Amino acid sequence: MKLPRRQLTASVPTFAMGDIAFLLLIFFVILARAQDDSHVQWQPAKLKDVKLAAAPRASVTIDTGFKTYLDGKETTPAELAGALSAILGDAPAGQRHVFLKVHREAKASHFEPVIAAISEAGGDLIHILEPEDPAPPR
Amino acid sequence: MKLKRGKMLIDPPDCATADIAFTLIIFFLVCAAVQPETGMPQVLPKTEAKTEKQDQSRNIEVSITPSSIVLNGSPLQLPEFAQRITEALRQKTREADRIVVVKSAPDTPYPTWIGVSQAIDRAGGILTLELETERRIEVE
Repeated sequence: MKLPRRQLTASVPTFAMGDIAFLLLIFFVILARAQDDSHVQWQPAKLKDVKLAAAPRASVTIDTGFKTYLDGKETTPAELAGALSAILGDAPAGQRHVFLKVHREAKASHFEPVIAAISEAGGDLIHILEPEDPAPPR
Repeated sequence: MKLKRGKMLIDPPDCATADIAFTLIIFFLVCAAVQPETGMPQVLPKTEAKTEKQDQSRNIEVSITPSSIVLNGSPLQLPEFAQRITEALRQKTREADRIVVVKSAPDTPYPTWIGVSQAIDRAGGILTLELETERRIEVE
């Protein structure tokens, strides 16, 4: 007489799916922050009637130490035009937005060469500013 | 005689903790990503070395120093400058005539510069920077 062998069922454990998704999310968040410039310290100048800015192709920052950064990486105004041209490529006009974040205490000797470099690369310059507080009522 | 009922231990289920954390992180990521940035767009002519002197004499010239704004030789403060530049550009119809050449002292603060830039933009002018280039000559 032949005894039937009991069939073993192999199932994938779904219990850890939440943990796997969580770890994957952290991995992608860290990758995405590689181009982040949030570590650069700067304070925006204030101006009346500022507009909402469109999404940029690149972001140039002059920090509290008056150093220049392109997408969070330190650079010099002399190298900026070439690096920006490479990022902007052949993008059509209107899609070549470059954010310029200048620390409010910066002087013309710091920011003018940077503006000239953005202009040389053909970027659509957007100064990032803070809206001025409305005057208190009298 | 009263019999004591045994207490039942109720633990919250742990298996959903990771899912809750995942949902929370998505919530905070979305909250962080929707902060819009505000600013001022600026149209700049492409940078080039100046060769023609003739056309430059026709353009409006503005000099900025930390204490004043000089328009065609007269020192002004920002509100007065905004009025004067609007009047000066009102008569100009050709785009080439609306070019405003801005020269800044090296110690001009950014808030002053951006205020002047906004006034020129609102008046319909095209801002052009005049930068001084350094040239080193070695003398033997």
